[in-house]
Amino acid sequence: MYDVAVIGGGPGGYVAAIRGAQQGLKVLLVEKDSLGGTCLNRGCIPTKCFFYDGKVLEAAKTSQVITGAETLSIDPSKMVARKRQVVKSLVDGLEKIMESYGIEVAQGFGELIAPGHIRVRRANGFSKEHQARAVILAMGSRPAVPGFIEVDGHYIQTTDEALDSDDIPGRVIIVGGGVIGVEMTGIYRTLGSEVTVLEVLSDILTTEDEEIRRAMRRLFDQRGVKTHLGAELQEIAIRGDEVEVTFRDRGNGTQGLRADRVLVATGRAPVLDGVDPAKLGLITDGPFVKTNERLETNLPGVYAIGDLIGGMMLAHKASAEAEAAVASILGASKEVKPERIPRCIWGFTEIGAVGLTEEEARATGRPVKVGKFPFMNSAAAQALGSVAGFAKIIGDTETGEVLGFHIMGPHATDLIGESVLAMSTESVVEELAEAVRPHPTLSETVMEAAMDWSGLAIDSPKKPS
Amino acid sequence: MATEVVVPMLGITVERGKIVEWLKKEGDPVEKGEIIFIVETEKVTTEVESPASGILAKIMVPAGVEVPVLTPVAVITEPGEEVPARYLAPSVEVPPAEIEAPIGAEQIAAAASLHMASTPPEGPIKAVPAARKLARDKGLNLETFSGTGPEGVILLRDVETRLKVGVEPSVKVSTLARRLAEKEAVPLEGVAGTGIRGKIMRADVERAVEEAAAPRLGTVIPMDTMRQVIARRMSESAVTAPHIYFFTDVWMEPLLNLREDILPDFERKYGTRFSINDLIIKAVALNILDFPLLNATAKGQEIHILPDVNIGLAVALASGLIVPAIAHTDKIGLAEIVRQRTDLVQRARIGKLSMDEIERGTFTVSSLAQYDITSFTAILNPPQSGILTIGKTREELILVDGAVKGKKVVTFGLSVDHRIIDGAVAADFLQNLKWKLERPAFTFLNL
Repeated sequence: MYDVAVIGGGPGGYVAAIRGAQQGLKVLLVEKDSLGGTCLNRGCIPTKCFFYDGKVLEAAKTSQVITGAETLSIDPSKMVARKRQVVKSLVDGLEKIMESYGIEVAQGFGELIAPGHIRVRRANGFSKEHQARAVILAMGSRPAVPGFIEVDGHYIQTTDEALDSDDIPGRVIIVGGGVIGVEMTGIYRTLGSEVTVLEVLSDILTTEDEEIRRAMRRLFDQRGVKTHLGAELQEIAIRGDEVEVTFRDRGNGTQGLRADRVLVATGRAPVLDGVDPAKLGLITDGPFVKTNERLETNLPGVYAIGDLIGGMMLAHKASAEAEAAVASILGASKEVKPERIPRCIWGFTEIGAVGLTEEEARATGRPVKVGKFPFMNSAAAQALGSVAGFAKIIGDTETGEVLGFHIMGPHATDLIGESVLAMSTESVVEELAEAVRPHPTLSETVMEAAMDWSGLAIDSPKKPS
Repeated sequence: MATEVVVPMLGITVERGKIVEWLKKEGDPVEKGEIIFIVETEKVTTEVESPASGILAKIMVPAGVEVPVLTPVAVITEPGEEVPARYLAPSVEVPPAEIEAPIGAEQIAAAASLHMASTPPEGPIKAVPAARKLARDKGLNLETFSGTGPEGVILLRDVETRLKVGVEPSVKVSTLARRLAEKEAVPLEGVAGTGIRGKIMRADVERAVEEAAAPRLGTVIPMDTMRQVIARRMSESAVTAPHIYFFTDVWMEPLLNLREDILPDFERKYGTRFSINDLIIKAVALNILDFPLLNATAKGQEIHILPDVNIGLAVALASGLIVPAIAHTDKIGLAEIVRQRTDLVQRARIGKLSMDEIERGTFTVSSLAQYDITSFTAILNPPQSGILTIGKTREELILVDGAVKGKKVVTFGLSVDHRIIDGAVAADFLQNLKWKLERPAFTFLNL
């Protein structure tokens, strides 16, 4: 009898297992593939490997001091090999951590038979049943592909295949201008592919701040990415050794485009394999499992976390929910506030954001003030040679509450952390401005944006009053 | 010639007013009719106009001080004229700690931008003297304050709030929670922190605010000014004016039908809708013309029958009750009644009524029609002598030619001051009103 059985070993599941074990619980972790889930094996980590490889090439090619850079290129097979090595070392590390805590890792396909009762089917056909006082469902998500598209794995891929392909397509069409589409655009384009993005909505990254979106669209244009907004996909068909995408463009009628590869990045759907909501009486909310704020499903002792329950489908959201679920199991309570979950995007440059966009903040009707600081004015960014972007803070005029922070530019994803801390400790804008930052660093950009909120940025010229 | 500026008479029952803010400072030129200061009484905040054009030469009573009405508070001179010597001593003794914000222009000008308030500023901290003194007396460090005055100047109320809130920033409170507590004046002592290591977070303060708003068994709630006024006036009224009560049932169909008939045309013409209450208010005003004694005030050995008919409406607020009155209710048309009523009720809810709008009432109508209350008695709104109450509309069964029919009925109640109104007069008034409401065409046609 286990205290907790966790199904799924991604950033939701493995965090739940470790935290549970740290609290003295007897934990079983079921993973059908390899520890780390989508994030480590097919998502965050592989894309980051490629992102940084691309950055090295880009930095060399755009350098004013390196000579002979025009002949530089990336060897895709080495790139994929490096990624595999990174992933392997992280997976190995996780396995050691599990072992150190005495967490039992069951390799196999996990099924919830009834509350407190799971079955693990092994690849060799054998299966074993286990009892647990609490079950945490953490099976994650997989790429969601519209029904009329058939992914063949070569001409038509999802990120699952793309991140393990050791060739760089000459021309690629990316269907979907969300986070995944934007990240893959950056990677392919930096590696030399011709990229076209088709987005059905009226903009890319629709959940982000308008100014951030505009700046990212400008980068798309500058880097020669073709973007079709309001593009309604009609057909994707393989024609010889090309693939043809037919879509209806806003204003331009139906058109066809040919490429060497199509990446379908139309979002992700929860994985409920092994859990039959109809049979178990598990209540869902659309495709997602429905939980209360304690992460409990309607089934006694059954919890669900991460991509499975929707919201922001991010690794760190899953991890935060994992901790909250374990707290619930132990009778404590730990809240996961969506407005304090940072959102990070690695496109041509990085985006780090937390809290409300300016539009959302204004829509609340609260008195709102905005502070902004461009990387152009940062000495560190100048020395780094990466000056595109800005930091933007949105605060309540009356209380100084940090309502939102948006950064686009070098290391934005690292820089957003201090705003998250400020928000969770309920520090106010003035405190973000007041804490001394080392010089010359990019962190000064955060401080200066907060100073600008009070009209007191140091490295910006006086504003016309 | 020098002109005295005084705190004006702010109503029959108002004796004192507190100067909230001077909008002009000494030496400023002022125009006659220009608003120069704001005074606050128990009930309302009023802007006071300059009685003359000239120079605001001397302010004798600073902001934050309460004085009796008609107290001279400033002097306006003609350009070049000296301030007469008798005005040079302050007209009231002002204990230093009561001065709220006499901020000199030079202090404001010198105040650094103190939004980054907890940075120890270069040079002296900007605070008004009273705040400085209180902070010193209580051993508080002014550096830990974020002033709410202009340019971050620390005001007396900032120090008072901190004393009330009772927690120094070094105590474990998130900055946001502390600011919210100061804004809402929530004492942090009793607030349980749910943050890490018991830190008081915003949600904890919000919960305390909510709990304070919802009275619970065993709690003590200090009366705010409005509640104190209501308490005093209601007991005064109940003790000094012997009340007698009358009730009658009014058949409502005629009035409801009239409304239904004319509402579409009315709406087309005036772009607004009227309610049954508006019709009742008008009928009451017309009825008062037949019974002027109901529009009177007992004063010593005299009965003063008031010249205007201004029907007051009891408006329930979150924290009490206020009774603004519709001016000349007997003379104005229905559309004007709607306009005034809507405007008064709306401003009553945000505390933006003028003194006159509250004090001019000569008779009050109080309706609980939206509650499941059949009838009720009311305490007179002094110095008025009559108040009409309206219950809910209910259906009663009657026999018409041997058949059972439904009939819409409302019970009207009347409370009067028996010192000046006899039972027969009151009964007559109420019966006549019933007659008017049941024959609305005749009533409103002015035949």
